[in-house]
Amino acid sequence: MNQIGGQPHGDALGGRSTVRRRSAGGEAAPVWAALAITFVVVGSVAVTAWLTVRGHAKAMRDARAAQVENACQFVAETASPLLAAGDLTAVRRIVIDTARANALDELRIVLGDGGVLAAADPTAISSHQLPAQLPDISLASTVASDARTVASTRAVEIPGRGRARLEASGPATLPTGAMRDAQAAAGIVGAAGLVALMLVSRVLRRRLGGMAAIRASLLAFERGERSPEALTVDESLGAEARAWNELLSGRDADRRRQRAEHAAEALGAQRAPRSELDDACDALWQGLILLDESLRTKYANGAAAVFLRAKRDEVVGAEITRFVSDDRLVNAIRGVASGAIRNRLTVEVERTGDNGSGVLRFSVRPVRRDDSAAAMILIEDVTQQRVADAARNVFVAQASHELRTPLTNIRLYVEQLLDGEPTPDDRAQAINVISQESRRLERIVSDMLSVAEIEAGQLRIVEDDVRLDALFADLEADYRAQAEDKNLDLRFDLPPKLPVIQGDRDKIALALHNLIGNALKYTPAGGTVRVIVADDEQNLTVDVVDTGIGISPEDAERVFDKFYRAKDRRVAELTGTGLGLALAREVIRLHGGEVTVQSELDKGSTFTLSIPIHARAA
Amino acid sequence: MQINEQRQGAVIVLKPVGPLVQKDADQLKARAADVLRKSLGRFVIDASAIAYADSRGLEVLVELTEELGAGGQALKISAANETLREVLELTELTPLFEYHEDVNSAVRSFL
Repeated sequence: MNQIGGQPHGDALGGRSTVRRRSAGGEAAPVWAALAITFVVVGSVAVTAWLTVRGHAKAMRDARAAQVENACQFVAETASPLLAAGDLTAVRRIVIDTARANALDELRIVLGDGGVLAAADPTAISSHQLPAQLPDISLASTVASDARTVASTRAVEIPGRGRARLEASGPATLPTGAMRDAQAAAGIVGAAGLVALMLVSRVLRRRLGGMAAIRASLLAFERGERSPEALTVDESLGAEARAWNELLSGRDADRRRQRAEHAAEALGAQRAPRSELDDACDALWQGLILLDESLRTKYANGAAAVFLRAKRDEVVGAEITRFVSDDRLVNAIRGVASGAIRNRLTVEVERTGDNGSGVLRFSVRPVRRDDSAAAMILIEDVTQQRVADAARNVFVAQASHELRTPLTNIRLYVEQLLDGEPTPDDRAQAINVISQESRRLERIVSDMLSVAEIEAGQLRIVEDDVRLDALFADLEADYRAQAEDKNLDLRFDLPPKLPVIQGDRDKIALALHNLIGNALKYTPAGGTVRVIVADDEQNLTVDVVDTGIGISPEDAERVFDKFYRAKDRRVAELTGTGLGLALAREVIRLHGGEVTVQSELDKGSTFTLSIPIHARAA
Repeated sequence: MQINEQRQGAVIVLKPVGPLVQKDADQLKARAADVLRKSLGRFVIDASAIAYADSRGLEVLVELTEELGAGGQALKISAANETLREVLELTELTPLFEYHEDVNSAVRSFL
């Protein structure tokens, strides 16, 4: 892998090239500056150590030269009288001892003719007797030393005989403990400096290597390099290098995903260019599907996909039987698509569950084969229609029953009046019954008309002052007799003063009639019905509380639906159109209020009517 | 936010009570999405108790109508007050929805 800042690959220059690439890669000024500083510091320490050692060596040499000269002076002064006395043995002893004591390589007394009278090395003695007279030699004392050797020459006076020459030489410095220490210290400093330099260099290279490699990668990008392989760096260079590679990887993944999306869009556009017809079909709330002979979907609009509970992409191209399981529907589709059935078929399928419940109508129609399609399916959601139809059927049945009963009674009593000779009491009773039943018919017809107005959206309220005290007085008068007949305890709990509200008196009275009438109807004999009225400054609340048969939770959800009657057997035994509560709620909602119910089966119900004091027309 | 749910036949009526803003709007979105899925889009927003809506509230309404748009429908809004209507007009969102004067007419539109 061609990485920046990492191991080289196939480089002909070998190791030198690696170093050069790393450095050329720009381990930049910080690295070199740190190395330079380290070098200067270590160099300074080394130079100081060297100068110290050198100075110490010079001092050592000077001291040695002085030592040699002193030794020579001692020998000269000591040997002079001894030579004058002719005691060569003593002189020779002194020369040997002095040479040994002062570490002299050479110490000798030389006569004018070159003969060696005494020497540190006895084998070098060539004159065994001291001549009586020696040539007079002029000799100045000299001391010479260099880095290695120190030499001294001086004259030795021999009283009465003349002079001889004393020659001495030896090493310029003697190995001492201090010198060794100084040298060792210099060596240690030098070694430590080198090690420090290496360590600093290594640490800096490692720490800054990652940044240098990233810099090189950025420069390569600037030059036009785009390949991720060429821009990644060696991750061993540290956390910065790993983060950089991760950034490149993420960027690369994003670019690939974008390209894929663009390609998919372009491909989709090429495959299926949208037309006005496509847009028009998608605007339909009915589902529209085209199938070929093998039941494969050639086209499906958006609504079809919704009804089939799938994405459009999944539906188009797939067999329709993947999405429909009703046997009647599948058989209808197969029959029409194969051409065996040439007329339109309609199948209604009921679906349940949390993923789209309702009744769907599938209309399957044959399509001319010239279009290369075999069948078309139109899907409609007819759930609300079915519910309305069912409720209407129930209403018709109930209404028929409701209308028949009073009409039958009226007819019976009219026939009784017409056929026989009724007594005054019979006549009075007949007229009374006819009157009651007529009012009952009137209410039923009025309810039916109100329902029609609601269905047509034409139910309106006429606002005026509504005197609630008079209204509740009328209600109490209307229902007192009925309550007594059924042995029910009917009570009106009213506040001392009732407000005057704005609203439609007839509609409000209609709502209260339905609530109170139901309470009396569905409370068995001996029970209680209480009408509790309360008001705060904003709302009037009427609670109609009974101890009747109650309503199950399931029925309570639907009890305000038009034409709905609770499934309770006891409700079916009593007359009713299923419209009263629907009307009551509707008219109160038109006033900006609400009607709610709380009930417990076999215990009783509380219907609560709440209406704003200052009702507004909805 | 209080959201009353009522069923009229096969149609579900959702009535949010209060301003349609921020988290309350999100709450309505979640509730309406669930109702939409279960009822195949047979639902109505009773806007009679929505005092006003902020940008998030408008977004939620738009999201719901777009989701219904996949099936060729639009979000049905009933009894919207003048404030809400003005906001929808100012933001040029009015054409996206189907408006009804009251809940009954909105429910009847499913017949």
